[in-house]
Amino acid sequence: MTRREWLAMIAAAPLLKAAPGLEPPAAPVSIARCASYDEDVTAKLAAVFTQLGGIDGLVRNKTVTVKLNMTGSPGIRFQGQAPGVTHYVHPKLVGATAYLLGRAGARRIRFVESPWATAGPLEDVMLDAGWNVRSLQSAAAGVEFENTNAQGKSKGYARFKVPGTPYMFPAYDLNRAYQDTDVFVSLAKLKNHDTCGVTLSLKNCFGTTPASIYGDNAGVDEPNEKPTSGREAVLHEGRRQPSRSAPPELHPDSSREPGYRVPRIVADLVAAHPIHLAIIDGVESIAGGEGPWVRGIRKVKPGVLIAGLNPVCTDAVATAVMGYNPRALRGTAPFRTCDNTLLLAEAHGIGTTDLKRMDVRGLPIEQALYRYDT
Amino acid sequence: MRALRWGAVLGFLPLLYAAAPQPADWVPMRWPWSDAASLELLSGTPINCLLLKTVVPDFVEAAAARGVVTLAVIAPGDDVAGAARRAMAAKVTGIAIDGDLPEGAAATVREAAGGAPVIELTSRSRMALGSSAAGVPIIGTYQGVWPGIAVEADGAKKAAPSGSVWIDTNTGFIRAVRAWGDATLWMANQPPLKTVVTGARYLQAIADAAISGARWVLALDDDFAARLARREAKTMADWKRMADLLRYFEQHPEWRNMQEYGKLAIVQDPAKGGLLSGGILDMIAVKHTPVRAVPRQHLTAESLAGATMAVNVDADALTPEQKEVLRNFTRGGGMLLTGPPGWKDSSPQGDQITLDKAELERLNDIWRDVNSMVGRRNMGVRLFNVSSMLSNLLASADGKTAVVHLVNYSDYPVEDVAVHFPAEYKRATLTTPEGVVKSLEVYPTEEGGGVDIDKVLVCATIKLEQ
Repeated sequence: MTRREWLAMIAAAPLLKAAPGLEPPAAPVSIARCASYDEDVTAKLAAVFTQLGGIDGLVRNKTVTVKLNMTGSPGIRFQGQAPGVTHYVHPKLVGATAYLLGRAGARRIRFVESPWATAGPLEDVMLDAGWNVRSLQSAAAGVEFENTNAQGKSKGYARFKVPGTPYMFPAYDLNRAYQDTDVFVSLAKLKNHDTCGVTLSLKNCFGTTPASIYGDNAGVDEPNEKPTSGREAVLHEGRRQPSRSAPPELHPDSSREPGYRVPRIVADLVAAHPIHLAIIDGVESIAGGEGPWVRGIRKVKPGVLIAGLNPVCTDAVATAVMGYNPRALRGTAPFRTCDNTLLLAEAHGIGTTDLKRMDVRGLPIEQALYRYDT
Repeated sequence: MRALRWGAVLGFLPLLYAAAPQPADWVPMRWPWSDAASLELLSGTPINCLLLKTVVPDFVEAAAARGVVTLAVIAPGDDVAGAARRAMAAKVTGIAIDGDLPEGAAATVREAAGGAPVIELTSRSRMALGSSAAGVPIIGTYQGVWPGIAVEADGAKKAAPSGSVWIDTNTGFIRAVRAWGDATLWMANQPPLKTVVTGARYLQAIADAAISGARWVLALDDDFAARLARREAKTMADWKRMADLLRYFEQHPEWRNMQEYGKLAIVQDPAKGGLLSGGILDMIAVKHTPVRAVPRQHLTAESLAGATMAVNVDADALTPEQKEVLRNFTRGGGMLLTGPPGWKDSSPQGDQITLDKAELERLNDIWRDVNSMVGRRNMGVRLFNVSSMLSNLLASADGKTAVVHLVNYSDYPVEDVAVHFPAEYKRATLTTPEGVVKSLEVYPTEEGGGVDIDKVLVCATIKLEQ
């Protein structure tokens, strides 16, 4: 099958569930070639933003919160390589994002992540990943960092209600950094995911959930402000409920299978807390899983940056760039053992997965194509 | 007395031997060859003490002519005294007993050696610990873990999605032993059998011992030795790097004399749990929390000076006086963590040198408490991006100078390491075995100061000065 035939095929795939009488929104997605982090990443990202019509109008005089993808302990490396060239977003791209947000007039730029099993300063995790925190701080005025695994620098949590008909939880309690913001950016990595098939700008938001409430050792009644675990028991497998301070599951009798639960939780989270700008780091990455703990992963160099103003559209394009049909159903790669997060988000009305409706700017998908399944 | 006797022996050696180094300065290697031409490999290396399984008089003489000490290796077996006498007749400098001899047999070897140095490389449990008073300048063991990142049977690195990699190391054992006595410590373990040992793994073994003040008795696997004998270019390059690393540590004898530093003290019996690798000291080392081992036998108020936290691994083993020392420590504001009720520090059984699974799980309870107690506190220095490394913080007697040793156990260089330290240190200098000597820019951090290191290959040292 040629690239063009493949694109024609995936564009013809049916929608899982279009909202009756209402087409999910579409927005432009931009792709740029960036062969390595040694290139001028800032210039490449600036070009991507320009192709989207610029970000000044989006961020000028605004507080911008950027959710990073730093999954897993920074101590776990794939073949000893820095996490930024495998499964974390690369610090150069993070710095470029800060610089360009600052140049576009952002008043405050707050980088957030709920890193593995700690509520300590996010800066410590960055340092442990080999990032130069001082450089990031100096990339723009008003740069801050917040670990959102617990309540952190603020008091209490903000509740984000899922609009419409939630899949899993009626609302999610998150660190207030997600509320105290005007613009929310998901800065993700172009990767497969062991549970969800792909992890892009949507799945990146799974990490907004605080382990203090949704972690394995979350408090029963109140959040545990010193969490030391992941979220397997509560979110992945539903073996226990979150702290009682947060709303419990809507359907405790539903499937406990992670491939059912996690995509729905992700779709709920993004519906409850919209992403305004999605950026996907596909310069260097891994295929076969989301981190070094997944057996069979391998290093890949797709050499692309992808960004868009709608996360479902952006992830649909990114999934296509990875060589998959973004509208594939469960049982088909990359969603072999899970439901398709993109379709679930589409059904929430967040955005379309229909490539035919999308305005892909810059590098065409067929030229950016880098098959993750060999 | 024994030390005096050794000094006398060395003093009366023929002029040819006059340049021979003192035992404390011996840089040992198990030498697999017995032809004099092989000694050319020593050119440019600091190796000055060869352990010989086969003693050939001409070789011994050629070695002596180069100022190189020779020790005949005597393994357990029949007539060890006779073997010692034959070796001495070949004019070796001394004897290295490699293994556990029956009770009293070591004495017969000493007698046969006629006052020449006899180094005992025993099992850990039979080492003459705390023996500096007995005048033994070198103690050693043939038992050691092969340092490196632990790998599961299927080849995967031993790590969870969440945790750090585990590094097999002898450093905890070395630190426990050296805290109890000031004898020079030799780690005489050999490379694992049926395993390809890369040049990097040899470097790690050298550095693993050296950062805690011991010396690894260099031992080559058969394949490496054969390639080295053929002077293969890549092997020669590895050999040169090994020599450079040995020289790096030998050029800084002051490091070996510095004290282990850390505001966290572990009170443990070096003759019990301290003999095991993978114990509490190694667990803390993997987390890069500076810690000092305080032998239970040396527990005094002075030994805890400067510490703000202490862990008493085996509370029941303490004397009433020692318990009072710890009570006073807590009255003075120190935090004390004691092992769970009924918990006893394990003594190694048989050939055991690592903890078994049950002991490891029990120790994990203490470890979690230690981790929680320490938190993000700076116990002397905090290191970032060092998951494939081990470190050791040492300080001079006056506290004005400290050094942080880093050893990288991965097969890849580590880039962008950050070091945060207390405000009293104003200057920082990086040195590496590759010859780098570089003043580092000190920037302010919440703990005081910090420096960044661009790249660590196998080993690096940061010198901090007030």
